[in-house]
Amino acid sequence: MRALSIASTGMLAQQTNVEVIANNLANMNTTGYKAQRAAFQDLLYQNIQQAGAQTSDTGTLLASGIQLGAGVRTAAIYRMTKPGDIKNTSNPYDVAINGAGYFRVQMPDGTDAFSRDGNFQLSSAGQLVTQQGYTVQPGISMPPTATAVTITPAGLVQATIPGQVALQTVGQLELTRFPNEAGLRAMGDNLYAETSSSGAPQSGVPGSTGYGTIQQYFLETSNVDAVSEVTSLISAQRAYEMNSKVISTADQMLAQTAKLGG
Amino acid sequence: MDNTSLLSLSYQLAAFRSIDVIANNIANVNTPGYKRESVKFEQVLQQMKPAEGQKGPQTVSFVRDAGLLRDISGGRIESTGAPFDLAINGPGYFAIQTAQGERYTRNGHFTLNADGTVVTESGDQLMGDGGAITIAPDDGDITFGADGTITGKQGQIGKLRLVDFADPRALSKEGDSLYSTTQQANAAPNAVIAQGMLEGSNVQPVIEISRMIEVMRSYEATASLEKGHSDMQRQAIQKLAAVQ
Repeated sequence: MRALSIASTGMLAQQTNVEVIANNLANMNTTGYKAQRAAFQDLLYQNIQQAGAQTSDTGTLLASGIQLGAGVRTAAIYRMTKPGDIKNTSNPYDVAINGAGYFRVQMPDGTDAFSRDGNFQLSSAGQLVTQQGYTVQPGISMPPTATAVTITPAGLVQATIPGQVALQTVGQLELTRFPNEAGLRAMGDNLYAETSSSGAPQSGVPGSTGYGTIQQYFLETSNVDAVSEVTSLISAQRAYEMNSKVISTADQMLAQTAKLGG
Repeated sequence: MDNTSLLSLSYQLAAFRSIDVIANNIANVNTPGYKRESVKFEQVLQQMKPAEGQKGPQTVSFVRDAGLLRDISGGRIESTGAPFDLAINGPGYFAIQTAQGERYTRNGHFTLNADGTVVTESGDQLMGDGGAITIAPDDGDITFGADGTITGKQGQIGKLRLVDFADPRALSKEGDSLYSTTQQANAAPNAVIAQGMLEGSNVQPVIEISRMIEVMRSYEATASLEKGHSDMQRQAIQKLAAVQ
């Protein structure tokens, strides 16, 4: 009886769905978090009777065939790349990206990681680093005497030095974009890594064609929409229940069959 | 075996098939573009020996599942906000280039690959009028028009190849939300594309659950018919044995 295994694929799929939704809800307030969705596809079909098969010598055809499905599978869990809301924080080292692009961050092992979380701070050496202490690339160090920092929409980082009239340029923030940003691999800590599906990173100056601009004193919030997550959660839970109902029905039918032998 | 047992057997087999089809519908309740199916039964007549006191030949009718009917009505359209989620409102299919040839789907969830080409989750290319559709990074936000025209910041990129068939119910399911057919693919002028939306499945939980209960109850009724029949036979054997 296929119904049992078909319904179990349905329950597994809905379980994955609930897990993805739970993760989204848990990250509702995570800076730069991108909501995920589970994408479902139907499983392969078994041809019992081919539609269009000939039913007589005169060429009449079978109007409908019998193709039995094997259930459902989770094809992918994809990320919604639409930007989150931007909220004011009044912290000078908080920067949000308005538009496309990622900050490039150097991991302790020397590899690059990418992030939209612009919640930066200064290290003891005056370097611009992430919350985990990873250096933002290209490296920017603030002079120890600086009293204030200004980051322009084009990513120019300028320091106010006491005694100097003009602002001193200390660095330039860069943005990185990918042909397919949904293909990036999430590493946790709001960081993403390049994959063969994301395509090669291309760096550019904020504000140039195809790149977003930088907004100082702002952070990008997560793009999770609580209302739609909760509705999806309800629908996933009901779908789970329906699949379990199929299993219990199939079970009752099999029990009836077993009783016949008595 | 006699006719009563064979008749109930024929229904029981059909009922099992029904439950499998209902299970597949329910398992795919959240699969974009999935179309629900239902089993079509037909009766198979067979001549039988007339019963005592009856004249002329009589027939007994067995049941069998003749085919599956696909309900091709549109599913509910849900907003997802993803730029490459496309829903077709009205008749029509997306054309997908796979290694096995052109396939068709109504599951409008697409993504980009590393080259910026629009593909399905399995990596097969979505076809435009002039072949695969590739988005350059400088194209910025992509807009899909209602007629399938694709535009970016640098102007028109292409147009979706939307097709329809003379008999869409006869398309063969391949899994992964794809259909294959030998029919001629015609243009689908009435297909309206909605971007940022997905067509959900058209499975109606109420129908499937009530149908499932119905199948199960009639299965039980058949089982009790068979039980009654076997009790009758047992009694007959006992009584006949007592007479001797």
